[in-house]
Amino acid sequence: MEVQQGGAPAPAAELVVSLREFTLSDADAEAFMSWASDPRVVRFQRRDAYEHVDQARRYIADHVLPHPWYRAICAGAGAPLPVVGSISVKPGPAEDGRLFRASVGYRVAHAHWGRGVATRAVRAAAEAVFAAWPWLLRLEAVADVENPASQRVLEKAGFVREGVLRKYILLKGRPRDMVMFSIVVDADTDRRRQQNKPDGP
Amino acid sequence: MEATATPSTQEEVKPGTAKVTVAEVTLRKFEVSDVDAMMAWASDPQVAAPCRWDAYESTEPLLAFIRDVVLPHPWFRAICLESGRPVGAVSVSPTGDPCRAELGYVLARAHWGRGVATAAVKRTVATVFAEVQRLERVEALVDVANPASQRVLEKAGFTREAVLRKYSAVKGIVRDMVMFSFIDTDPVPE
Repeated sequence: MEVQQGGAPAPAAELVVSLREFTLSDADAEAFMSWASDPRVVRFQRRDAYEHVDQARRYIADHVLPHPWYRAICAGAGAPLPVVGSISVKPGPAEDGRLFRASVGYRVAHAHWGRGVATRAVRAAAEAVFAAWPWLLRLEAVADVENPASQRVLEKAGFVREGVLRKYILLKGRPRDMVMFSIVVDADTDRRRQQNKPDGP
Repeated sequence: MEATATPSTQEEVKPGTAKVTVAEVTLRKFEVSDVDAMMAWASDPQVAAPCRWDAYESTEPLLAFIRDVVLPHPWFRAICLESGRPVGAVSVSPTGDPCRAELGYVLARAHWGRGVATAAVKRTVATVFAEVQRLERVEALVDVANPASQRVLEKAGFTREAVLRKYSAVKGIVRDMVMFSFIDTDPVPE
């Protein structure tokens, strides 16, 4: 951002954030390591920090590629845009044999925190899954009570804060209080989804 | 049938009916021979209405439920009054996390309105944390449209945490649910 003499600062270049599928490439595995090996990022994840790129390679092959919805977050400058994080949406749990819920989780490399990357990625993911899964009525996410940055991401991405669930999830051996957030389909969002269908209303 | 967390026990005292004390309500493990007592609530459509299961029409499937679900369950108890005969059931079921389990309870309609469910839930939270390894949170989900069941949990010392929107599908209808919890450090009310 340039500050012009005696005038308003020039507007910052628009941050480009896009989502794409992961590949089995070395580049994707190395990018994965940039957050998966960082204790600051994995602090609020069940998993311990990775120590070797082979762990990332294996995780991409065994977990990411077969996953129902897992994307690389690309952001910054250059073509192709560098991979700076990941976001995944897990359908379920099914109840009475019916799928209607899903939950979203995301991780961004520390170097790219504080620039709105996660907020844009979460918004894009929410739009994508509500469009792709007509059965989806509720998209939820939890954030640790001690992770206000993540709580802000979800709020800015349009999630509603529903409440604090005490000792809800075991994180690295300790039960954590988590804030629950959700976006639900109502009559209005359902109408918009119908209008966006490719074969028309 | 599972003892779900959405029973429709009415806790308003019926005229001439005294509330039970916690001491009069005991919990014990089920036996196959309890099937007839269980039919009293399992066959009642009014009891089954807020639950995931449909009212049972014969004892064979109920026997299968006792054998296949109740007996191997980590924590499933018969709610008994003075006679020792079960009048309902309470269960604490595992979830995806070992620190948290889900409470469910169901009561025969003849015993509604006397505080039996509240007493059974109090007994449950007083003992389950010592009996289930690594458990620190017991949670219960109640339909927003079931204030009687919400009152049972409030009187048993649970904390109302959130309304989770479009959270549960029961008998084909997706419902908003109130999430309650009791954690191992919460005080058990008398």
